[in-house]
Amino acid sequence: MIAASEPRQRPPGAKLLVLDLEGKIVHALRTELVDFLHASDLVIANDAATLPASLAGSHLATGARIEVRLAARRSLEPDDVAHFTAVVFGAGDFHARTEDRPLPPPLVPGDRLVLGPLVATVEATLAHPRLVALRFAGSPDAIWEGLARHGRPIQYAHIATPLALWDVWTPIAAGPVAFEPPSAGFVLNWRALAEMRTRGVEFATITHAAGLSSTGDAELDARLPFDEPYAISRGTAEAIRRAKRQRRRIVAIGTTVVRALEHAATRRGSVSAGNAVATQRIGRRTRLRVVDAIVSGTHEPGSSHHELLRAFVDARTLGRVNETLAALCYRTHEFGDSVLIARQAVNAARQPNRRDRSDLTRSPSQSHALRPCLTRLPASEM
Amino acid sequence: MNEVHNTASPDSLRGLRVAITGGTSGLGLALVREMASRGAHVAFVARNRDRVATGALENPGTHGIVGDVSRKQEIHPIALQILGRLGGLDALVNNASSLGPTPLALLSDTECEDFEQALATNVLGPFRLTKALLGALTASARQGRAVVVLNVSSDAAINAYSGWGAYGASKAALHHMSRIWHEELVAEGVQFLSANPGDMDTPLHALAVPDADPVTLKRPGTAATELADLIAAAIASAPSPAESSASAKLLHENAARVA
Repeated sequence: MIAASEPRQRPPGAKLLVLDLEGKIVHALRTELVDFLHASDLVIANDAATLPASLAGSHLATGARIEVRLAARRSLEPDDVAHFTAVVFGAGDFHARTEDRPLPPPLVPGDRLVLGPLVATVEATLAHPRLVALRFAGSPDAIWEGLARHGRPIQYAHIATPLALWDVWTPIAAGPVAFEPPSAGFVLNWRALAEMRTRGVEFATITHAAGLSSTGDAELDARLPFDEPYAISRGTAEAIRRAKRQRRRIVAIGTTVVRALEHAATRRGSVSAGNAVATQRIGRRTRLRVVDAIVSGTHEPGSSHHELLRAFVDARTLGRVNETLAALCYRTHEFGDSVLIARQAVNAARQPNRRDRSDLTRSPSQSHALRPCLTRLPASEM
Repeated sequence: MNEVHNTASPDSLRGLRVAITGGTSGLGLALVREMASRGAHVAFVARNRDRVATGALENPGTHGIVGDVSRKQEIHPIALQILGRLGGLDALVNNASSLGPTPLALLSDTECEDFEQALATNVLGPFRLTKALLGALTASARQGRAVVVLNVSSDAAINAYSGWGAYGASKAALHHMSRIWHEELVAEGVQFLSANPGDMDTPLHALAVPDADPVTLKRPGTAATELADLIAAAIASAPSPAESSASAKLLHENAARVA
């Protein structure tokens, strides 16, 4: 795959790889996503807006330049903005790959970090020279203003121009609680939501504080994802109960939605309304209780997002998907192309109820000429 | 989650999370006071830091945000603070306005830059801010809350008055934008209102018509009461969550039967 280097949420020509019920791969334009939904589906997205979580500043004791990336928070409460978990980088900026960024000066509890108008105190180091618990001084109003004025969205070395908040807020962005964008939601726009409504596809949202997707440090990345608070409204919980009762499909837009819903179901047996903190990892051994299909960006093998897809399909199938994504030049990272993957076990279990192509709300066109970027295609897709 | 309860009085806006632009003078300031007195959670936006601080002190419980809605770069920082502080949003009042040239000028004498400023404040600002907050507004609607965007218009948006070219043309654009957005978004649960508060005794009116006799002008507090009533009425008339979930349920029961 190639990195998507333009910060456009819905570039014309964005692609969608659909893994269909028979395990066959279909290529489509991402604007055709709604065509691959069933008229009875319940689609659930993460409506978190993204915080300007990157704060440039200095380490007061040494004067060293640092960049603080806020990475996790213990709740979604508007007033609970003093305490964050953060990853700290040494000098330099996003033009350098995170893998190449130097360590910050050695940090110890009590150290003060001056971040524009904000001052934070290191409360604890968290078993890694880059990872700390921070406490901001000031009232919640002052902290929100400091973040708004001085913070920048977390940047990516593969995107040359600095990202602004409007680049990373999805069209449905609501509460500003995510640290990196719930970027699967870039697929949505108001026309897509109107089309869903017209076709009887139900739409609901949760709010999940998506954390960092990677830090560039293998040891830290192995600890991802960090704990993420989420909120499920009464309306969404009721929509999920209704859909389950009626054996309708639940389609998650993004890995964060899967993590929240499956966490809620594991804790309480079924998804009920309320706030909680998702602490689990989802992977090959996870039995999914709620989500039947996922719309996701394309993720590099080895990342926690990629591992999550293993809960949906077996290694062989996912391998085949990855080979195809690479062979057909799908673009990866936040502003890249997308996949729609249905859960294999469910397909088998629900065989008698299986909806065939006539059940699709509209027969999608499958005639997009995709130009291979490599000469070799996986044999199964030739 | 805070729910909007209208049990106290029909005009109560208890628990309503509302953002008001241009909230430190004239109609905006009166609206901050009016909405806060009816129990709303208020965030207000204005350009001058000292006036914002004063407004927040004089109206305890409200959140003052320093920002200029005519500047593209400030929209998301403003939206972030509104949503961060209120934890969501049920109502937005786009009230901040620019007259264009002052003293008022014939359209033919209006400098392009003055027209651009009127458009930036009266049209693009409300467009950008509403768009940035639309996710939060529709999220609130999905949670069964009534959601309203009120754009403060003018009779100069409808009638052609000599000397009011930049203001009238920009307010006409805002008025039409409100109508189109209402068409597009009422299905998402967001109602758009465009209201003409009338000629008021405000700093903006004094700039436009310096020799007007204040006695002949409406008091901003009176207009604020009327606009708050308008918001309360729109909220009361919004389809209740029970109705919308009942129709969704019916639709999906039908779908399940067909499948």
